Amino acid sequence: MPKPLDVERLRKIEKRIHEIAQEWGFLTTDIQFEIVGAQKMLEGMAYMFPVNFSHWSFGRDYETHRTIYDHTGSGIPYETVWNFTPPVALLVETNPFALNTIIIGHVYGHVDFFLGSKFLKIGRSFSDIADEAYYAAERFREYEVQHGKDEVEKIIDAGLAILWQQHPDIFMEEELDEEVARDRLLTMEREKARPGNDVDSQFKQGGIGDDTLTRKLQYLAQRVPPEPVYDLLGYITRYSPILKPHHRDMLTVMRNQGRSLAPQRKTKLLNEGWASYWHVRFMRRLFEEGLLTAEEHGIFNDFHSGVTRENRVGFNWYSIGLALFEYIEEKYDKGRFGKEYDACEDPVKKAFWDTHAMKGREKIFQVRSCYSDRMAIEEFFTDEFIHQMKLYIWESDVDAKTGETTYYIVEKDPEVIRRMLVRQCTLYGIEPIVVQNANHNRGGNLYLNHLSNDVELDPKRRDGTLVHIFTLWGKPVFLETNVDGKRVVCSFNGKKHEIKPK
Amino acid sequence: MPISVPEPTSERGKGDAKRHRDKQKEVLKENLPKVIAEESIITGGSGKVRVPIRRLTIPDFRPGKSDGGGAGVGQGDGEEGEVLGRRPGKGKPGQAGEEAGEDYIDTEVDIAEIIELIFEDLGLPQLEEKQVKELIVELGWKIRGTAKGGPWALLDTKRTAQEGVKRFWFLLEALKDETGFSDLVCFSALKKAEGIFSEALVLLKNISDLPEETEVVAFPIFYTDDYRFHKIQSDTRYQSQAVLIAMMDVSGSMSTEKKYLARSMLFWLVQFLRKIYEKVVIRFIIHHTEARVVEEDVFFKTGESGGTNCFSAYELAGSLVDTEYPVAQWNVYAWHFSDGEDFDTNRTVGELRKLFERKINMFGYGEIRIGEHWRLFPSVSDSQLFTAFNKAFVVDKTEEEGVRVLTGRGDPFLGVVVTQKEHIFPAIKQFLKKDRWTSHA
Repeated sequence: MPKPLDVERLRKIEKRIHEIAQEWGFLTTDIQFEIVGAQKMLEGMAYMFPVNFSHWSFGRDYETHRTIYDHTGSGIPYETVWNFTPPVALLVETNPFALNTIIIGHVYGHVDFFLGSKFLKIGRSFSDIADEAYYAAERFREYEVQHGKDEVEKIIDAGLAILWQQHPDIFMEEELDEEVARDRLLTMEREKARPGNDVDSQFKQGGIGDDTLTRKLQYLAQRVPPEPVYDLLGYITRYSPILKPHHRDMLTVMRNQGRSLAPQRKTKLLNEGWASYWHVRFMRRLFEEGLLTAEEHGIFNDFHSGVTRENRVGFNWYSIGLALFEYIEEKYDKGRFGKEYDACEDPVKKAFWDTHAMKGREKIFQVRSCYSDRMAIEEFFTDEFIHQMKLYIWESDVDAKTGETTYYIVEKDPEVIRRMLVRQCTLYGIEPIVVQNANHNRGGNLYLNHLSNDVELDPKRRDGTLVHIFTLWGKPVFLETNVDGKRVVCSFNGKKHEIKPK
Repeated sequence: MPISVPEPTSERGKGDAKRHRDKQKEVLKENLPKVIAEESIITGGSGKVRVPIRRLTIPDFRPGKSDGGGAGVGQGDGEEGEVLGRRPGKGKPGQAGEEAGEDYIDTEVDIAEIIELIFEDLGLPQLEEKQVKELIVELGWKIRGTAKGGPWALLDTKRTAQEGVKRFWFLLEALKDETGFSDLVCFSALKKAEGIFSEALVLLKNISDLPEETEVVAFPIFYTDDYRFHKIQSDTRYQSQAVLIAMMDVSGSMSTEKKYLARSMLFWLVQFLRKIYEKVVIRFIIHHTEARVVEEDVFFKTGESGGTNCFSAYELAGSLVDTEYPVAQWNVYAWHFSDGEDFDTNRTVGELRKLFERKINMFGYGEIRIGEHWRLFPSVSDSQLFTAFNKAFVVDKTEEEGVRVLTGRGDPFLGVVVTQKEHIFPAIKQFLKKDRWTSHA
């Protein structure tokens, strides 16, 4: 029987953590901690927002987490923190005291990241989206009553399938209004075609004739969309010929949620690493100050080693993120950066390089503010770091006869690993899929283009997603992509799938 | 700074989780034939089955290879080419992975739940009390009298409730005697204890904690003794034990799908017979060119190639009856599943006649021809067996609910041709019709 949570003591510790955080230069604010039952925590984790619309996938996640919880019973080592103003974090009442202490430290790390990272400051506030989710939940319930649960579920299923197909640059607001986009494009083309004002152009003969230009402009005027669109869900919601108003409402809510969460996905490694880096230090400090017993410190160590275990076929955000910040800190404390260091070719000299620059703390705060995962990987996942972390690329093959899957290491070259990680920061590493043509074959068919020459998509998922897109578009959907090393066009027309060479 | 404990709110997670489970059940239903292929459902009957259910996910665009393999970044010691591990083929009970390839989760499902799904899938009624009673009536059985023991289906709820109320008053008086407290206090304790006497005694130790009752309202309390059952009226000659000899052609043409139907029919039959007879035994015989007696799992797993001699099975069934199940003491039912092929139909007919001579209750012939719809394609011919039985025995050829039926007029013969799932229950009902069984002289 777990001991009842000593709320008073936890309050005292939280207060102390707040003070230490300020001492360390955190951006802090009052954080609202709520002590809840495991149930509510699991719900919060599954539903993304405190209150959200119903869907079986939330139920599935809720159940998965709950099953893990039911079976391990050893406390839920997860945090749920929502970036409201002020931020709200959940603590599970049945967790061991030490675990809750770690979580508070971890949460302070997250909040500082929320407040400090420039990537998480764009777009609408979390509170806005959470409010929207709250009201959406009610509206969706109404739709279930009016139109039937199955229809609502179908639309949500389809929306979730393409929720993350967004523009890779999260600072970018894609112009979805075709008229506006077309105008801009036509103007640009006309500008390009005009003879320049510089001396060279004045004397040039010819240039593109009026005829070509007219034809080009005509073509652009008709092309739909005028430019390839990355925001699949946005485009389909707006221009699908078959969606009804309540469908568009549901998809818009989902799209807004997707867009608001996208920056967090782009900074997941840094965010988790940051919070882990600091919770370790909070715990050390609290123990030094005698606010934690030796036993509790022991619990912390156990937990920590569990969380930072190496994952042979996965990527442990917590441990690698934590190691990354410690690596950067050491690097900049010892002055291992800059032209001189980079140019040095003596490995021994490099290994013992230490100018006592002591810029580590400063640098990691800068990383917290200005870097995305991608940027951090490109700059700090050096050969040295990759070796230190013992990273590799694995592949798996499925035996066609027995169905047995074999996992093996294929690559240890840091450059290749770096490239793969960078790629993974963009939409699971598939590279963008854009709406190329919404009037393919003059039939209003949707033609999507996978902007990659070599990435291949998991076939079952790909086909399943095409079915969902068809549900939303109502007309045949085409996807130009790569299969078995060749460029092909996959399609779904409502009844069957086809793959044809391009 | 504030740490607060908020009010509990309603649970949305459970509702959505249920929806997810319902969806999983749908997936399970589609794969039932495969799921039960490996399990001894009929004789095993209880416990759990490990089923790899596809973890329902929303598809999305993700990297992957056409063979289903994947790639990613991992961490740890090792060199290029080194194997990290293996996962057994999907569909077999293996470890569920949290890492790559998380699509299948080994879920434990109650066999009872699987059975429920099978019945649902095949349109077989669940064998709840009410439905069994209706069925019994529909099939021509009669219900008379009250017995103190019996299968649940025949529970006489009214009489049983009367016994239950009697017991309530008995217990109330006993509590009053033991503790000396009043009617109302004892009633309150008994109510809170939901009828459990020992619990009520414990509760009466702290009467201040008990809710105040203003009136004693009796509720039925059941001990096993109190149950009252209907008795099925039947011929006194029928004793209360039955044996079902199940025979199956395993000569290679019985697919998983066909076996699934055969098995489900058998299973349901056995369940039903158990409601009617106190003891039901089931014996399995497989045959191709030869026959042998086997256990349930072998019955459904075996697939041989080669020829088919149905007579071998009937002959073996006959000797089984002679040696272990004399008709004087047993109600013998025999059922043969096949797709109609037979090398020597004359001998088969001969052996069947010998079975009839032994005076078995009923012989059922279940011809499973999935995918062959004789109505749409009249050119699909009658099978060898079907033709032979039709010729050799005096039968009525009819069609009931889409099922072709051959009903013996002098012999307890029933033949059905099943071409789709929807025929299963009609076929079974034919078999159980009581008026078929009055053919004993």
